[in-house]
Order: sequence, then C-alpha cells, then structure tokens
Amino acid sequence: MKLRWPALALVLVLIAALFLPAVTLHVHSRVDGAIAAQIPESISLGKLILSGSGAIHPTLTSLERMQTARLELGFGLALAAAGGCLLLFPRRKITCAALWCSGLSLALLGAGVFHWTNLDNSLLFEMMISLGIGLYLPVIAAAVTLLWSALSLRIREPETQKPLCADDRKLRLISAGLAIAALILFFLPAYRVSLPDTVTGTPGDAAILNRDISLFDIMLGQEKNLYALGQEREGLKTPISGDLAELNAFSNDQNNVGGVFQIRSANTGSNPLLMAVAALLLLSAVLGLIPKVDRWFSVVMISGAAVLLATEIPGLLTIGAGDMYASASRQLLLLGIGKVTFLPLLAVAFAAASAVTGILGIRYANEPYFVNPLPAGFRIRFVAICLSVIALVCMLLPGATVSFSKPGKNKVLATATISGTDALTLKAADRLINPTDSKGKPVYSEEDPAATPAMVQAGTDAMASRFTWLTWAALILTLAGTILLIAKANKRLVMAMLLCATVVRLVTWLALGAGLDRNVAVAEGSLYLYASLPLLIFAAFFSNFAALEELPKKYKLFLMMLPFLLAVFLFSYLPLYGWSYAFYNYKFGLPMDQQEFVGLKWFSEMFTNPANRENIFRVLKNTLGMSGLNLATSWLPMIFAVFLNEITRTRFKKFVQIFTTLPNFISWALVFSFAMCLFAADTGIYSKLMMELGLNDPNNPTVWLNSGDQIWLKMWGWSTWKGLGWGAIMYLAAIAGIDQELYEAARVDGANRWALMRHITLPSLLPTFFVLLMLSISNILNNGMEQYLVFQNPMNRQTIEVLDLYVYNITIASRGTTLYAYATAIGILKTLVSVTLLFSANFLSKKLRGESIM
Amino acid sequence: MTAIDKKMHGRAGKRENRQKLSRGDIAFNIVNYTVFILITLACIFPFYYLLINTISDNEMVRLGKIQLLPQGIHLENYVQVLKIPGILDALFVSVARTVLGTLWTVGGCAFLGYLVTKKEMWLRKLWYRLIIITMYFSAGLIPWYMNLRMLGFLDNFWVYVIPGLVSPYNVILVKTFIEALPPSLEESATLDGAGYTRVFFSIIMPLITPILATLCIFSAVGQWNSFTDTMMLMPSGKFYTLQFLLYKYQNEASSLAALVRNTQDASALANVATKQTALSVRMTVAMVVTIPILLVYPFFQRYFVKGIMIGAVKG
Repeated sequence: MKLRWPALALVLVLIAALFLPAVTLHVHSRVDGAIAAQIPESISLGKLILSGSGAIHPTLTSLERMQTARLELGFGLALAAAGGCLLLFPRRKITCAALWCSGLSLALLGAGVFHWTNLDNSLLFEMMISLGIGLYLPVIAAAVTLLWSALSLRIREPETQKPLCADDRKLRLISAGLAIAALILFFLPAYRVSLPDTVTGTPGDAAILNRDISLFDIMLGQEKNLYALGQEREGLKTPISGDLAELNAFSNDQNNVGGVFQIRSANTGSNPLLMAVAALLLLSAVLGLIPKVDRWFSVVMISGAAVLLATEIPGLLTIGAGDMYASASRQLLLLGIGKVTFLPLLAVAFAAASAVTGILGIRYANEPYFVNPLPAGFRIRFVAICLSVIALVCMLLPGATVSFSKPGKNKVLATATISGTDALTLKAADRLINPTDSKGKPVYSEEDPAATPAMVQAGTDAMASRFTWLTWAALILTLAGTILLIAKANKRLVMAMLLCATVVRLVTWLALGAGLDRNVAVAEGSLYLYASLPLLIFAAFFSNFAALEELPKKYKLFLMMLPFLLAVFLFSYLPLYGWSYAFYNYKFGLPMDQQEFVGLKWFSEMFTNPANRENIFRVLKNTLGMSGLNLATSWLPMIFAVFLNEITRTRFKKFVQIFTTLPNFISWALVFSFAMCLFAADTGIYSKLMMELGLNDPNNPTVWLNSGDQIWLKMWGWSTWKGLGWGAIMYLAAIAGIDQELYEAARVDGANRWALMRHITLPSLLPTFFVLLMLSISNILNNGMEQYLVFQNPMNRQTIEVLDLYVYNITIASRGTTLYAYATAIGILKTLVSVTLLFSANFLSKKLRGESIM
Repeated sequence: MTAIDKKMHGRAGKRENRQKLSRGDIAFNIVNYTVFILITLACIFPFYYLLINTISDNEMVRLGKIQLLPQGIHLENYVQVLKIPGILDALFVSVARTVLGTLWTVGGCAFLGYLVTKKEMWLRKLWYRLIIITMYFSAGLIPWYMNLRMLGFLDNFWVYVIPGLVSPYNVILVKTFIEALPPSLEESATLDGAGYTRVFFSIIMPLITPILATLCIFSAVGQWNSFTDTMMLMPSGKFYTLQFLLYKYQNEASSLAALVRNTQDASALANVATKQTALSVRMTVAMVVTIPILLVYPFFQRYFVKGIMIGAVKG
C-alpha cells in the first residue's frame, strides 16, 4: 500500500483545530436575560489546553471537572494526532496501533466535549457558554481516523496472508489481561468529591472531607454520605439542611439540586450490579487463562460485564453533573463537588475490548474449541444446582403482600410485605403489626368495634407464624437438596427433597390468606413465590439425570424451547387473565377476590345504555368506514405494480420504487408532522396554493388539517400515501415470477400491451391479491390506532375515533380507571369478532381456492 | 432485488428491440411516466419541504414564504434543538432500544425458528401452534397494560426490549427459510458430534443471514418508529424516546412555547432570522427523527424484496 497522503491532511486538520474558536463566553444581565457582556474573541482549543478553563473566566478555574476536561482534550488531541501520523505508514501493525490510538482518543475527546457541553447547565444563571467548531473538529477527525484504520485493516495485504493477530493463544491472553485491567480499574478513583474551603471555614477541615471513591467502594457500599461524614469528623461546622425546598429557592433548576443531594446520599448501600460485574470480570479472566476452556464462556461473561458496567455509568455521570455550581446561588455554592474521572469509562472500554479480542480468538482458534469447562457428568447437575440456588434466593425475597382495608370498604389503605428473610429472622409478625396508611396514621383504632388492632393482629399473627415455619421448612429442604446434589448423593433422595420443598411452597401459597379476616386484610403471593415453584420442579427434574447424555433429545430440545414458551405465556397468554375484569365491577388496585362480580353487565351496558350505544355505533361506523375505504382500494398497489412494470427504463423504475417505499418507513408521528407543515393553515404550501387559486381567503384561512370534514377520505389518503409503494413490492415480486413464455406465446398470437396486462399479468396476480384481501377482511376491526391517534383533535374526534382509539381514549388517556372493565369487555368482543372473521375468511378461501390463508 | 430486476428488465428490453413503438404505445408511455413521476414527487416532496423549512430563515418560514426553495440558509435550528433538555437522553433511549430490541428479537426468533424445525422435539406441533396462534388474537389494551404493569414493566426501559422476544411472524419466516436448506449440512455436523446450539451457531446462522438481515431491518424500523408504548407505559416520564417527544411537541403547544423560550435564552446572539419559533422547533425535531432513517435507508433498501418474497411463502 502506498503512503497515505490524506492522513497528512487529517493531521493538518487537527493542528488547525488548535487555532479555531472552541469556546465563547457570554455574560447575561440578570434582569432581562440580554447579553450584558461578551468576551471579545473566542478561545481556541490550543489556548484552552494550555491555560485551562481559567482563560475564559476565573470562576471556571475552580470547576474541577473543567480541569479534567482540559487533560482529556489535551491527551485526546495528542492521541488523535498520533493516530493520524501512524496512518501515514502503510504497515499493518502500525495501522492497528492507529486504531487503538484513535479509539482511545475518541473516548477521551468525547469525555472532554461532554464536560464542556454539560457545563452549560451548571453555570451560574448569568453566564452562557457557546461551543465552536474547534471543540468538535478533533472528535470528528478522531472518528475518521478510527473508521479509516478499521477499514484499512479489513483489506488484506498481499505480503501478510495471515489475518492480523491470528494467534488464538495470544488473543486469549490479551482478552484475559484486559478483563483483569478492567478489574484493576475498580480500585482506582471513579469519582472525586471535593469541598470548597468556604463550607467549613478552615481549609484543613475541607481537605479531610475530600476523597476519591473507587468503583470498589461503591460496590461494597463503603462510600459514606458526605454529609454524615462531615458531621462525624466535625468538619461541617454549619451544615446546610437537607431540605430540598429550601435549596430550591436558590436554584432555577430542580434537577441540579437533585444532583447535589445525590452526592450526599447516593451509594450508601452495597451495589449488587457492580458486584455482579466484578464477579463476571473475575470469572471470565480466570476462564480465559485456563487453556482449552471454551472461550464462549468467558466471552459471554465479559460481554455481560461490559453491558452491566455501561448501565452503571450514567448513574455515575449524574453524580458529576450535580456539581454545586450548577444549582444554587453563591452563598450555597458550598456543599460538595462530585467529579467523575474517566476511569469507569475506561473500565467499560477494557471490558468491551476484552470481549472483542475474545471473539477474535475464537474465530482464529485452530484447536477444537468446544471444550466445556465443566466435566460432562457434572454439567446437568450444575444446571440443577443453579436452579435450586435461584429458588433459594427467591425464597429469601419478598414472598407475600398483605393489603389492609377498613371493613366494608374496598379501598386499600395500607400494604405490608413479608419476605423470606423476615421469616428467617422471625420478624414476619412484626411487619404486619399496626399498619399505617400513607399519611402515617394507623389504619385501625380501638374506636371501631368491627376491627380493633387486636382483632386484626390475631389474624396476621397466625398468618405470619404459618408463613415463617413453612418458609423455614422449604429453605431447609431446598438447601439440603442442593448440598446433596453437590455431594453427588442418591438422586432419588435429592429429587424427593426438592419435590417436598415444592409441595411446601405450594402449601405456603395456598394457605396464605387463611385465618385472615377477608374484610380487613387480604394476602397475595409475590412473583418470587410463584417463580420458586417451577424452579424447584425443574431442579428436581434435572437432578434425575446423572449426565446430560442421559437426557433424551426430545426433552433437551423442549428445555431449550422452554424460555421462549415462557415468554409467550407471559406476554401473550397471561394477559388473557385480564379478560376476567370484564365480568367484575373492576376497581383498580384491589385483589381479584375482593372485586364485585357483575356477570355480563358490561356487555349489556354497551348496547342498553343509550350514551354508550351511541358511542359504540359511532366508533364502529368510523372503524368500518375507514377500513372499508382501504379495503375498497386495496387493488391500488396491484395496479401500481402492473403499470410500473410497463416502464422499460430500469433506472427510472428503481428510482420510483425506492422513493415510493420510503414513506412506509417513517412513523405516524412523523407523517403527522409532515402533514402539519404542508397543510398549516397560514403557512403551509397547500393553503398558499389555494390562496393563489382564490379558493382560500388569506385573511381567514381554512383549517384544513384539523377540521373534521371528510376525515375518512383524508385518513385514507395518508394511509395510501404511506403504504402504496410498499404494498406494490409484493406484486412486483409476483410479476417477476410469471413465466416469460406465456408472454412470448401471447405476443405471437398478436396480443398487444393491454391484452398482455389483462390476460396474463393481472390473472397471475389475483391469488396474491385474494390472500391479502382475505387477511385484511379479517382485520377489519383492527385498523390500529397510531394513525388516528396522531391525527385526532377535539374538532375531528367524532369522526376519527376508531375502536382501538376509543378504548384508549376512555381509559389510559383520560387517566381514569373506572372504565377498565367496560374497555376490556369491548376488547373481548373485538377479539372474538376478529377471530370469527379470520376463520370464515380462511374457510372461504379453502372453499374457493382449496388453499388456506393461515 | 437484482435478480428479479434483471429478469423483468430482460423481458422488457427484448420487447423494445423487437417491435417498433406504435403511436398508442407512445401516448401510453407518456401518461404512464407522468403519473409515476407525480406519485414519486408526492412521496419525496414532504421530506424536501420539511428540510428546506428547517434550514431557511425562520422569519420567512413563519410568514410562509418558503415553499419551493430554501432562502437564508442556516443550521441554527438544529444546534438549538439539540440543546433542548431531554433530547439527547431521548436520542440515547431510542438508539438503545433500537439496537438492543433488534438484537433480542432477531436472535430469539432465529433460534426459536431453528428449534421448531426439529421434528424430534417433545410435543413440537403443540408448542408451535401455541406460539403461532398468538398472532391471531390479542387480549386487548387494558389486559395488556395491566399485565405489563403486574410484571413490573411500567417505567422500565426493558419494556421496549424484553416482551418482543417471540414474534410469531418472524418465527414462521425463519422456520420456512431453514426448512428450505439442505438437511445434509446439519446431519454431517451432528455426526461430527455437534450439539443443537453448536449446529445453530456454526452452520445454520451463517446460512440464514439474508432472512436475518431482513428481520433486523423490520424490527429496527419498528423499534425506532414506535411511540405509543412510551405513551402508555412510561407514566412518570422516564425513558422517553425521540418519536414520543416528537409526538408530544406536536400536541402540547404550551410546553413547546416554554421550550422555545428556553432555547431562545440559550442562543445569545439570536436575531430574527435564526430565532426559534414553535413551528421551527417542531419541524426541526421531525427532521432530526427522520434523518437516521434517511441515512440508513439506501443501505437496507435492497433487502426489502427478499424479505417480502419469503414472507409471501407462508408456512
């Protein structure tokens, strides 16, 4: 490869960026927001790096993260320049180095720019920063370098036939090394908290409180609340009270005040997410170091770790954003400054890089790479052990919720949760004593003879004690089963234990509410309680096999399928349970067994109540009308395709096809914004055109878009605009499949263009048309709601409201929960009608064409 | 696309050479071309119109002077719109849900599609039907909402991703595609001792990339475009997506006015030409949402036909 001169241009661009304006500061007047002063010339990036943010304004010097930004920008720029220079040399390894350089510089520059953009929110009210091209140019240049080096690495060079870093061993070690590096970063400062001297009076006291906090500290919850620490060390002589309302008066931005308190209160408990990340990193590093272990294990783990860690980063960043300059006036600029270092970001980068190298290693491995780290005989038991351990954890988590209400009243006044941990520590009964409502008032009092606290407590005590010993029993059984599993004990014994535990859990669930007075307290099991049942059953099932090979293939496949079935059950079948609302006088938030059963009241309500009947018929008319219009013109795409096919110029045909399908890929929200601009009453091109033609009065323009006139036609127009080209694709594909000899033969017989279209093309498209027509007939009630939702307004609501939209409007949109049962009843009828229509269409299709459409 | 095109154009080209165009043909062609040019223009024009209105002098836009050509070009609208608080977060959420949701759905449907081709599975037909039948019924809005609420998905980012694991239509597509592959490939791998997962990842996966690419496109576009889920499932205003913000800005004139005021404060040097108006903010946000689609559209455009063709052959 030749010397790459464009790389030189890249370096020159970077040098030029040093002198281009990067930042400008304006000072506003406090009163009316007008610019009171402006620093005459913009500050260039070079000056920014050399002299720091103080070059712009002295107060910025004390913003510590701006100093970090300076370092980040400086190093980032240097690295980007180095990357650009390295690109000048056409060696593969050097290009690889350029890749790393530019990647790292991109991260650094990005962080630097992030700090600057973020500054805008955190300046005092009267200062305003605007950022110039000089700040963004290096980022772009670094990105270009990255892309370029990545692209040139892809092009294999003739002298090095071997792909880059094809050594799988080396890659594995690199991968493990990177994971360890990411782990090491856990112990380095993730963010710094520093305190201005003014808050304590003496600099020494402030210095005591300044400290670095590592991810490790956050992980273990060792980071102390700054406020508490200040009190403890007696550094904070005049503590500012923690009342948000008090600070709000000084701030115009509530978020930032929140940020301040985040520094003070965040991360005081241990962070399970970070623990998981650390564990995954460690495991993947260890697995990566053991030769002949399947690399997929470590790759999966490390990718998980990278993703989890990345989700933790935004949380850390908000700590940095809540810096005191952000929020309050000068007197209060005093509490503490949290500043995120770039190290957590680097940890994410390392983890991600480790995953990538791991994958590369797998790709280039020439040894047979599927070597499971677990001995074959252990694998299946490993699954069983995992399941039973998860079940154990589920048992420790919240198991039941008790909701309390006054006798005879349906409203839930208080809820209490008892968990397995409570049961273990024998505290379950305490959780249920004297429930208080949201205002802190006890729900039951001695004055009410129907439910005195003692009466309620008698029931809850019984329930709590039963829950306690049952949970104990289940825990012991499961634990014993797990230990026996690990110890390779008799599998019958293990299975018996786990099944017994299942039964105990089942009893716990069934007996939850027994003994409680239904009028005052109702107990419900939690998801964890339900989840422990299948977990235990499957653990028992797996413990039955000594080795994976013993598991018959059909069950193995079924087990692989199981998570998917579970998802289908959870998201498609479980909602059907909600159909029961339609038969109750459903009150939001009450458990099902306290709802009042009303039978088919809501169904008859639909047609007997005149107001409802009117609405139902109106929305049905709209639904059928608009569906009908679409149905009546469903031949349009077919005609479109037939005529498009008559065009002989390939380029033109392609052009038409590409641009007519484009509208299909934008959302209805976007279609509506297009409509709003094109048809705006005063400025849109449509009304301008009408004014030109004299059809529209300029002084009193017609509100075409919002009016309810001919709304069906308008809706039909928009859906045709969106769907015409897209619908034609299938017909075009079908046309391409027509046998050419048919055309040849017809032409020999003297058929002209029309005859060919009428007698060959159209008939061969009819089956496709028929199937689509049948499907759209069965979907006549489901015309979706997005389109009508975005176009609806008070003026056209009467004529645009389709069934789906009506249901949405009377329930979720109006924030009322009283009509949930009624809406569910409508939904049930709609589904039933749709399914009937579908089956009839299918039946019809079978009769007419001998083929089913489903 | 290309193969079909060649076939179509091959025929058309031949015909053109063979016979001379009659007068009727010429008239037909003129009408045909004109109609298609008009249709195409109707499809492109809104995009163009929005674009010129966002980059033109805002004062002239407000007066409705910009109709066909941009005037007083500036990019201030875009700079200011990106400064609206929440926009960048929404962009992040949109990108995250698009990427994660697509990977999750396509990965899940690919593997499930492979599993349901395995005849030896216990009660395969039953499970397959149970999955497919969900395509034809829905529980309705309220039960759906209450179910997600019960499962703790309200105000939760993962509601955009996790419920999409199984999409019956995609499963059918993948299944049909895999069934068309020669079974010998899989058999030989099984003889070499590869398990199901292994066969899927190293043999099936590379072979079904065309259909996976198509599924990726549809799923990604769907994820990027959806806003009703945000509207219903994020009551406390967390994890707003770009599309939803767009929808919201169109409907809430008051909040938009406040936003405009904010952005005006921020643009210290605001003059009339670049001053934000409610209209300009709306249009610019719409454009910001459209641009990613326009950018990737040329790349994925060629996968449509293939996907549609496979979709037409239903299993």
